[in-house]
Amino acid sequence: MATLNINGQSMDIGELDPSTPLLWVLRDELGLVGTKYGCGIAQCGACTVHLDGAPVRSCQIPVGTLENQQITTIEGLATADGTLNPVQQAWIEHDVPQCGYCQAGQIMSATALLSKNSNPSDAEIDASMSGNICRCATYIRIKAAIKTAAQTASGTAFYDATSQPETA
Amino acid sequence: MKPFSVQDDKKVTDLNRRQFFKVSGVAGGGLVLGLGMSASKHANAQLIAEGPSELSPYVQIQSNGRINIFSKNPECGQGIKTGLPLIIAEELDVRWEDVDVIQADIDPTKYGMQLAGGSMSTPMNWTAMRQAGATARLMILAAAAQQLYVPIAELRTSESKVINTTTGDEYNYSEFAELAATMPIPTVEELSLKDPSDFTLLGKRYSGVDNHELVTGKPLFGIDQNRPDMAYATYTKSPALGGTAISFNEVHIKSLNGVIDAFIIAPVGDLIGQGMNGAAIFGGVAIVANSTWAAMKAKQELEVEWDNSAADTNASWSKLVANAESIADQDGPMELLNNGDVDAAFANADQIIESFYEFPYQSHVNLEPQNCTALYENGRIELWAPSQTPTFAEPGVAAIAGISPENVVLNQTRIGGGFGRRLNNDFAFEVTAIARLMEGTPVKLQWTREDDMAFDFYRPGGFHSYKAALNAEGIMVAFSDHFITVAQDENSQRPIEAANLSLDILPMEHLENVRVTQTLQPAAIQTGYMRAPGSNAYAFTFQSFLHEVAEAAGKDYRDFLLDMLDREDLPAPPMPEGMPPGLPAPVAFSNERARNVIASVTDRAEWGRAMPEGRALGLAFYYSHSGYVAQVADVSVNSQKEMTVHKVWSVADFGFIHNLNGAENQVQGSVLDGLSQLMYAKISFEGAVIEQSNFHQYPLLRMSNAPAVDTHFLEPIDVFPSGSGEPALPPALPAIANAIYSASGERVRKTPLSELGYTLV
Repeated sequence: MATLNINGQSMDIGELDPSTPLLWVLRDELGLVGTKYGCGIAQCGACTVHLDGAPVRSCQIPVGTLENQQITTIEGLATADGTLNPVQQAWIEHDVPQCGYCQAGQIMSATALLSKNSNPSDAEIDASMSGNICRCATYIRIKAAIKTAAQTASGTAFYDATSQPETA
Repeated sequence: MKPFSVQDDKKVTDLNRRQFFKVSGVAGGGLVLGLGMSASKHANAQLIAEGPSELSPYVQIQSNGRINIFSKNPECGQGIKTGLPLIIAEELDVRWEDVDVIQADIDPTKYGMQLAGGSMSTPMNWTAMRQAGATARLMILAAAAQQLYVPIAELRTSESKVINTTTGDEYNYSEFAELAATMPIPTVEELSLKDPSDFTLLGKRYSGVDNHELVTGKPLFGIDQNRPDMAYATYTKSPALGGTAISFNEVHIKSLNGVIDAFIIAPVGDLIGQGMNGAAIFGGVAIVANSTWAAMKAKQELEVEWDNSAADTNASWSKLVANAESIADQDGPMELLNNGDVDAAFANADQIIESFYEFPYQSHVNLEPQNCTALYENGRIELWAPSQTPTFAEPGVAAIAGISPENVVLNQTRIGGGFGRRLNNDFAFEVTAIARLMEGTPVKLQWTREDDMAFDFYRPGGFHSYKAALNAEGIMVAFSDHFITVAQDENSQRPIEAANLSLDILPMEHLENVRVTQTLQPAAIQTGYMRAPGSNAYAFTFQSFLHEVAEAAGKDYRDFLLDMLDREDLPAPPMPEGMPPGLPAPVAFSNERARNVIASVTDRAEWGRAMPEGRALGLAFYYSHSGYVAQVADVSVNSQKEMTVHKVWSVADFGFIHNLNGAENQVQGSVLDGLSQLMYAKISFEGAVIEQSNFHQYPLLRMSNAPAVDTHFLEPIDVFPSGSGEPALPPALPAIANAIYSASGERVRKTPLSELGYTLV
């Protein structure tokens, strides 16, 4: 019986077809619907999650390839007591979301960027975020929020991959 | 930070255990006072039915002092779930921190029209929401007077408290809420609304009420709905729009892993022709499975024999273009407007300017692909629908399910992008047809991105063949437009949905000699309303052409526009037919407000300053949805047509702005959406088959190419608010296009610019 390590928890996925994309396992089997379906071909970034801290498009990752890897989703960014990650806080402070549908993917790309580059330039932000489409075009506020989060968090870890999710 | 809303069933149950008090709401929006909530179809009704007598559609006050405010309209990113409750909270005189916003049920008997469209939610509800808050406040005061044995005149309210002005004693609203719920409902005449200068909440910045839930990945959207023992469905339609399914490889599909059932659904109604209020679906094949992925995988193996006899297989964008070009130098057969003596003005002209403009079909491409969840059981259907027009969906669902509308319960979900796509409820009708055949099983219908792009209600494409006359002084004295648009078929005498031209676009009402004619070209491709419908195409063509005329006249475009707008206002137009009740009366186009936004934006952008070689400012003005917007774009372009939009200045007059964050967000998004449309957006079709399938063929703007946007609002406080979701988009396209001309000397007369060789760098 296969298990995945998601947001620091071991989750049983039963006898699922190993070719099933991680996106649909998260959404349909595990109830982690914060990760979104947008295009199914890695064009939009709405399904972005972290694999061992690196951003990936979960619509392209067969679930059978994921044993022994740490998966982090939007539900795993806040700490167990509900304290938001600096990126999440900055998103609220800047009132980034319009429809909000892409924002989980945007936040996962932004946290991955800041965890390896605590003070990114505009060009580095553009390069890291250009895989994520926002149909409402909230890019101006996304960029501003990333800069705020970088300041807030300078020197601190963005998230602990082994922490418990706020809710499972 | 705003607390998040209470929405799901578990939370409702928890709340039932608490003591709830309710304060009756009010007039406006078709509220029926005294209606027993226990009769309601909805889950939220429970929480109210256990409490005291009166109905409360907008306001509840809990014994712990928390205040629930219900937001009636769908939230699709326009910020209405924050905006409408703010208006109630202002007149209720409470602290925003004390408020929990709850998405209201769909119930026209309580809330009247519930829709997200036309930038109408704020203007339609502005007065009613103020009255709702003021009513509840007055009832609390009346109850406090009775309970405290104090004349009501000696009481005032502030920040969720009743204050005895004699003693200075303060009381929380909750102390009087139970008695307030039994007070007589004041009449509208008894209410005193605040003077806007006394507003304590409105006019500031507020972060969206769902933001905490959004950034933590909570299940808010239609696609996130989950019911016990739910099945997952795909629905496959003929690539040729309007075709129907005859047969499919049923045995194979049903043998696939995870597939529960698969069946053909017959078409209902005329989906292409009937517009957004009817109940219609294309025929197709439904696959029901035990997961989304199983249903999608089975869909890939589907082999269907289609009957495409009902599809308009002559429909071809390239043929529409070729035909339009061939008739561009004529007038159209249908005359829409003929003022003055256009022929004489052209005969006497010193200079004549002629241009032909083309704009393509476009898709809404909501990032959340269409979806809907439904359970049909015992002659009753319940849906969880990301719909912009839930009020329209219910009768259509009833018709397709073959039940009465009383047996339809429709729950609002958050919407992952509206843009007008979800004014149509085809996804709700499709899942109804599927759920009807899966009685007792909740079904979530999920469109693929490819389905979404191939079965939109597209922004229609079209053409303008313009002609302008200048006199010897360089004054524009005549204008003609041959508008070439689309009709459903060759017998149709009117444009297809959303393909009509309004006859008040600048300069139509600002010149004596104006002729507008129309040609209808048949193409049975379903069309619909897209953010700033009409305006999103016509601003580019009209404002680019007027810039051409100004250039021909040797005039600065700012001066050209200000001269044209230097005149008396016309009388207000009549209320259009068929509009929902509650709309404020139409107002006249104000030349002064138009001049003000143009003057302001050109000041802010330092219009007229020297620019480096290959870089220029472009200006455009457009009026739509009662909003006045002028924008200046700063654009570089080189000989390889590599361009950068450095910055766009936007000045808007939307009347009073009650949430500055929300309005600013809409303007920033609109400008960037406009740039995206200008550069990339095009849907084409051959044989009624859409040629684009996903974002690799229908790109959207990405962060690396997003310009800075300077957002400014003129705020005349005595002017009724208009909506801000749409009118800032139209002028962005011509402002950028006019800058391209000024920077490079090349006039762009069709979109998308990517087809003309332009790229963003």
